[in-house]
Amino acid sequence: MARVEFDDVSKVFADGTRAVDKLDLQITDGEFMVLVGPSGCGKTTALRMVAGLEDISDGVVRIGERVVNDLTPKRRDIAMVFQSYALYPHLSVRDNIAFPLKIAKVPKAEIGRRVDEAARILDLEPYLKRKPRALSGGQRQRVAMGRAIVRQPAVFLMDEPLSNLDAKLRVQMRADIKKIQSKLGVTSIYVTHDQVEAMTMGDRVAVMRKGELQQVAPPQELYDRPVNLFVAGFIGSPAMNMLEARVERAGGGVAVVLGDARLELSDHPWLAPYDGQAIVLGIRPEDMEDAAIAGDDVGPRLRGRVELREALGADVLVHFAVAARPAVTEDVRELAEDVGDDRLRSQDAAAATLVGRFSPRTRVVEGDTVEVSVDRNALHFFDPQTGLAIRAR
Amino acid sequence: MRLRVVGLGVRLTVLAMFAVFFIAPVVWLVLAPTKSDKALITSSPFSFGDFHHVALAWKHLDAFSSHIFRRWIGNTLFYAVSATAITLVAGVPAGYGLAIGRFPGRKLVLSLTLVVMIVPGAALVLPIFLELNAVHLIGSSLSVILPFAFFPFGVYLAYLYYATALPPSLLDAARVDGCGELQTFLRVALPLAKPIVALVFFFSFVADWNNFFLPYVVLADSNQYPITVGLWDLLSSTPSFNPAVGGGGQSVKIFKPELALATLIAVVPVAIVFLFSQRALVRGLVGGAVKE
Repeated sequence: MARVEFDDVSKVFADGTRAVDKLDLQITDGEFMVLVGPSGCGKTTALRMVAGLEDISDGVVRIGERVVNDLTPKRRDIAMVFQSYALYPHLSVRDNIAFPLKIAKVPKAEIGRRVDEAARILDLEPYLKRKPRALSGGQRQRVAMGRAIVRQPAVFLMDEPLSNLDAKLRVQMRADIKKIQSKLGVTSIYVTHDQVEAMTMGDRVAVMRKGELQQVAPPQELYDRPVNLFVAGFIGSPAMNMLEARVERAGGGVAVVLGDARLELSDHPWLAPYDGQAIVLGIRPEDMEDAAIAGDDVGPRLRGRVELREALGADVLVHFAVAARPAVTEDVRELAEDVGDDRLRSQDAAAATLVGRFSPRTRVVEGDTVEVSVDRNALHFFDPQTGLAIRAR
Repeated sequence: MRLRVVGLGVRLTVLAMFAVFFIAPVVWLVLAPTKSDKALITSSPFSFGDFHHVALAWKHLDAFSSHIFRRWIGNTLFYAVSATAITLVAGVPAGYGLAIGRFPGRKLVLSLTLVVMIVPGAALVLPIFLELNAVHLIGSSLSVILPFAFFPFGVYLAYLYYATALPPSLLDAARVDGCGELQTFLRVALPLAKPIVALVFFFSFVADWNNFFLPYVVLADSNQYPITVGLWDLLSSTPSFNPAVGGGGQSVKIFKPELALATLIAVVPVAIVFLFSQRALVRGLVGGAVKE
């Protein structure tokens, strides 16, 4: 077991692409660190640099106290689970799991014992004699896990290990991997583009974008206190609603004006310096409620026309258009493109569509005008120029 | 409906004509040793003689130049197996290196491999002769084996396989699992390439077995001949092809049935190699390695 440290690490490919830029990240002993970000953000490259599969252009990677920059993968005491599983097709499940031990010349009896143990943990005992091609996707994934845990390495590296599984299996394997990791207590770095995986699995989550680290924090902190527009938009599903707004002084406090709506905020003095300036207002879907059932008549209100109602059972997602402009910054556009959403290009700039997570008791239907109450203590504010969060010091 | 029947009829007729055209000589060859030289001309071309004549043909063939026919077969096996072994040991790793490695000059080597692949072997015989002569190898077994072992097509086949069919993550997995580069090749890349090894083995072996021109040029002693040059030697000892022999009461009893038998025997090893290679060729080995 060991800590892993990225110290000002960069990776520049032969074609000049800067995949990772000055990454500083410390992963403590036994921690489950998730690297998350859209495709091309450099998370997999960062992982492969720890594995020794990618040269480090600049900076230092340490595993434990050792600088590993120039060590071959073999000498780094790591195990890796690949997105494609990368099982050896010519070997049986038993031989696949035993492979790293055979290479390390572990005595036969010990290999047998450790493979059996791994097979037991991963429920692979009935399949030990099969070849990988005779296994289902989930079983193959478990064999890949087995090959990693059998080595008892200092660090587990996992590169989107669940992305090839169907949704149901993914949820189950997610829990299994987390359980195994905490049982073994091995420092783990887990790469994913799925923010739900990141939130549910990581002790801490590192959000990356275009090779740069955006924020490292425990999942809830990342969700509650995103440092910038990118993190705010990336973490959370449905995503945070982002609107263009203007700050105005009002009475003792400030008001945020968006379109024809005005949210009075008496206890947000740190917004005062932005008086008269444009900001980006972020509202999480669950921080809005149908005012008809919210039972609070003092909170700020938004008014909109319901475009879509999605009943999820436990709650209802209501898409409603408000007379305010959606905030379209570079971050927002990039996030939208990453999920294949091209609505931003076509969306009427005068009307933003917000998504609210309402109680199932709401009676609104498509076409209704809805009055929405907003939790003023849960609002997020961002500087449209820098993208950084504006909050109390 | 009638048109379809006519179409089918035309297709079958054309196919049958081609089949007969190609199969007839083979059938004639297989039946030839069962007949006497005379019967070969007088009886129907596709009639079966008797096994007695096969035995007799073998006796004559084997008696030719005190069992030299056996020696030719042995020589050919030795040349082809040695050269193919060198081809496999050198060619498969070379293709792997070209596909996986990133080193200066890689593209040049690859292009050169392609170029020499399309140069006909016979065109190189003269320069090879001069080369072998310069190192005093003319007339030795090596003068056949070494040029035979040069098989750029094998390198290219291996290159193609490793560049297209082998998932790079498998090699990464092997490296992370503790393999050095040599172990990665021997334990993962090579076992997965069995179909390609079989293919290279087959093509190389057949090319070596059938090569006539090079050994014809570089070997002088008939005791060293491979079967191809041997058959040519036999041919020139047959009265029907070379009236200068056989007329003067010589003991050479090589006629058409003996020649046909010699040819058949010469083809058998290639057929066997084909059968074994083919089984390995059709086996898809990469299934289940990575998510398809």
